[in-house]
Amino acid sequence: MIHFDQFGVSDETIRVVLSTALARGADDADLYFEHSGSTSVALSDGKVNRASTHVDLGVGVRVVVGDQVGYAYTEDLSRDAMLAAARLAAEIATGTAAHAPLSVTPRTYADRYPVTLPWEQVELEKRVSMVRAWEKAVFARDTRIQKVEVSLADSFRHVLVARPDGRIVYDYQPMTRAFISCTAEHEGRRETASANLAQRMGLEFYTDDRVERLVRRAVDDTIILFEAGKPPAGEMTVVLGAGSSGILLHEAIGHGLEADFNRKGVSIYADRLGTSIAPKGVTVVDDGTLMHARGSINMDDEGNPAEKTVLIEDGVLRSYLHDEISARHYKVAPTGSGRRESFRQPVLPRMRSTYMESGEYDPAEIIASVEKGIYCQSFSNGQVQIGAGDFAFYVRHGWLIEGGKLTRPIKDVNLVGNGPRVLETIEMVGNDLVIDEGGWTCGKDGQSVPVSQGMPTVKVSRLSVGGAS
Amino acid sequence: MEPLELGKDILRKARALGAQEAAVVVSRSTEASLMRRAGKLEQLQQASSLGASLSLLVDDRYSVHSTSDLRPDAIDTFLGRAIAATRVLEPEPERRQPAPELCGRYTSEAVLDRFDPGWESLTGAQRREQAEQLEACIDALPTRDQVLSATVYVGDSIGETARILSNGFENVSRGTGFGHGAEMTLLEPGGRRPEGSSYFSATHLGDLPGAERVAAESWSRAAQRLNSGPAPSGRYPMLLQNTAVGRILGVLGGPLSGSELHQGRSFLAGKKGERIAAPGLSIFDDPTIPRGLGSRPFDGDCLYAKPFPVLDQGVLQNYYVNVYYGRKLGVSPTSGGRSNWVVPPGTRAVDDITRELDRCIVVTGFLGGNSNGLTGDFSFGVQGLLLERGEVVKHLSEMNVSGNIGELLMSFQEAASDVWRWSSVRTPSLLFDGVQFSGT
Repeated sequence: MIHFDQFGVSDETIRVVLSTALARGADDADLYFEHSGSTSVALSDGKVNRASTHVDLGVGVRVVVGDQVGYAYTEDLSRDAMLAAARLAAEIATGTAAHAPLSVTPRTYADRYPVTLPWEQVELEKRVSMVRAWEKAVFARDTRIQKVEVSLADSFRHVLVARPDGRIVYDYQPMTRAFISCTAEHEGRRETASANLAQRMGLEFYTDDRVERLVRRAVDDTIILFEAGKPPAGEMTVVLGAGSSGILLHEAIGHGLEADFNRKGVSIYADRLGTSIAPKGVTVVDDGTLMHARGSINMDDEGNPAEKTVLIEDGVLRSYLHDEISARHYKVAPTGSGRRESFRQPVLPRMRSTYMESGEYDPAEIIASVEKGIYCQSFSNGQVQIGAGDFAFYVRHGWLIEGGKLTRPIKDVNLVGNGPRVLETIEMVGNDLVIDEGGWTCGKDGQSVPVSQGMPTVKVSRLSVGGAS
Repeated sequence: MEPLELGKDILRKARALGAQEAAVVVSRSTEASLMRRAGKLEQLQQASSLGASLSLLVDDRYSVHSTSDLRPDAIDTFLGRAIAATRVLEPEPERRQPAPELCGRYTSEAVLDRFDPGWESLTGAQRREQAEQLEACIDALPTRDQVLSATVYVGDSIGETARILSNGFENVSRGTGFGHGAEMTLLEPGGRRPEGSSYFSATHLGDLPGAERVAAESWSRAAQRLNSGPAPSGRYPMLLQNTAVGRILGVLGGPLSGSELHQGRSFLAGKKGERIAAPGLSIFDDPTIPRGLGSRPFDGDCLYAKPFPVLDQGVLQNYYVNVYYGRKLGVSPTSGGRSNWVVPPGTRAVDDITRELDRCIVVTGFLGGNSNGLTGDFSFGVQGLLLERGEVVKHLSEMNVSGNIGELLMSFQEAASDVWRWSSVRTPSLLFDGVQFSGT
């Protein structure tokens, strides 16, 4: 049995700890066992001069009464320590004992991230030589590059969820991430930029093509900055390039559709289910099932299978992102969106891979339709206020659009807007959806989880651009 | 096993396996947090945690590691792998530990006073009562019927950290932390639900402000966001509220650091001793403040943590350089990272300052945004208030503030008298002139 091999716990221990968690009554409970690890090597100053390894092991015990949650965890997987955690978590409840499972049954789901060359079998020397080769490729691409930093990290997570119905579900979640940062000098000026890639894959992820793309992006995104200036300030038409501009969906819609905010009535999208919130032709999904995507999960952290959840269908709000608590509240099935950073935190409804489906327009036609505006190409971070619906995202670089053409590069500008209003002003959706392969991480209530995002080229008629007057 | 014993054990094993140097940190903590909403306890979290981290030098090769799997067999395997991983790297003698005489406690724990002995007698019932009191104060607000949802938070923790270096340094310290706060959501007729929150942190429970203040501040922060919108783009005087100053001064964190200086990614490179801000603006790094949230006896390299000026009357005095980057840059180390930042206050209250201005924007909070440490350019989404002669004429949202941090610092006008003490950035509100805002 995998739970015995991985965590050293027996069926009997799982049953006893769950019964203790349920001893004061509960609507739900779970045990979340996690064993994770990561390895990274990093290069700077021309040397592969730093390695790191991390190991984490523990179990979280959650007891749920209605929408009330008791939570405790321990890094000590002895029976006594787990029972103590279960008793702490059970303090949320005040009733009589609920049923504990009589037996446990392992269950498996479809695997969206089969690994061909597992990192556990890759020698560290191999990683070192990869990082060196990438550095060499960066310097070879442009003589203006002065400094390069490169890192290659991989991680794994063994997760086992045990539930009161006796279900035991196990998942193995691999990840790899590559990062290159460049600093260049040109005519006495310096500029810096970086690029990264991340997927749930083994060594096979780093094909020559992909590495070439990563190197090209890191270098070219740096060099372009020598020509880049600030865009004008104020409201203007914005074209979002295909790929990572899915950050707009993540901030403007995604967080507001997480069901915990809606069942509490604090999201601007509360009470909007079934209503039109975007123009026809706009379909937005949150998908845990994309093969190898950073945001994909075979199961969520409550042991439910991940799915592709249609949030907005042809402009109409169809669903929130549910964990078990919100699903019970809304009397719907969970969407497999209950996630947590680690065994130290309780589950929250979270995004996985959020993207807009392709529309009908040619991307060139979209740019040609803009008399004056900006085109956003690469992004670093964003934020949203759930209730007001105001959101922001930071554009590392993009282009000024003048007379239907990309004219001058721009850099370092924050864009703000209001989610529902921006959705209404989506004017054109391109036919070129790209799921970005970047290493995006989403934060909520102090918990970070890996996510993906994607977008076709999209034209929004009005966003506030933080440029210079 | 106690953290110190465990740490010594790990250090001994690492040395036996071939580590030339090792630094071990073992942390044990216990924390509890509560959340109440709509008249009931919504979340109760309690846990004790134990973990170890270490840095290794093997044949002058450097690596860092951490684990929470502290079973003896697991530690042996972990260390074996860690040392093997280190051997494949390239040597960097700059990573060697500092000389023992540079390491030690500058301020005694008795003076720093980071541990509240009252923590030990705190009960679950008292925590619940603290949360109930906060909720009761919100329910007692005369404006309660305008509040759609209010959540209150109560939390505390105790941590014990043992540090053992192979250069002979050894220390165990304990600290406590307490916090409470509230978050409110209001409802506008159009369905918009502006939110506001206030949260206070302290090392001692008795230093937290009362529940009435938490309720009043979270209300006023939420109410300031009602019916908000953008003002016209343009240049305005900016009164940066004391709680918001940290985000803007934080832009300096990267450019002040040894790593960014060494990588050629800092606009502050070569500016030590030069004027980078208007006279009148000073920032001091002070790790010695009793009960300060960033106070410490030594820094990350275990060097004596002494106070030093970062910016004195507008002149850049020091960078943040740790031992490693000090060797790379050929300078003496100061400290690898910030402790408490202290910005000296002025003499006038915020109201007295804004009353004299025909028009100004008070920035109360940020939304997204980022900065470029190599150029100093920044762009942040902001919330705030548009004031005319001190009177609020508009609640602001969907606006950005953009510019260059170097130019902003030069436009500093005045510090108010209202120092915010529930943060490691102890600063009053600051006034800057001619700041670029974009809105409509």
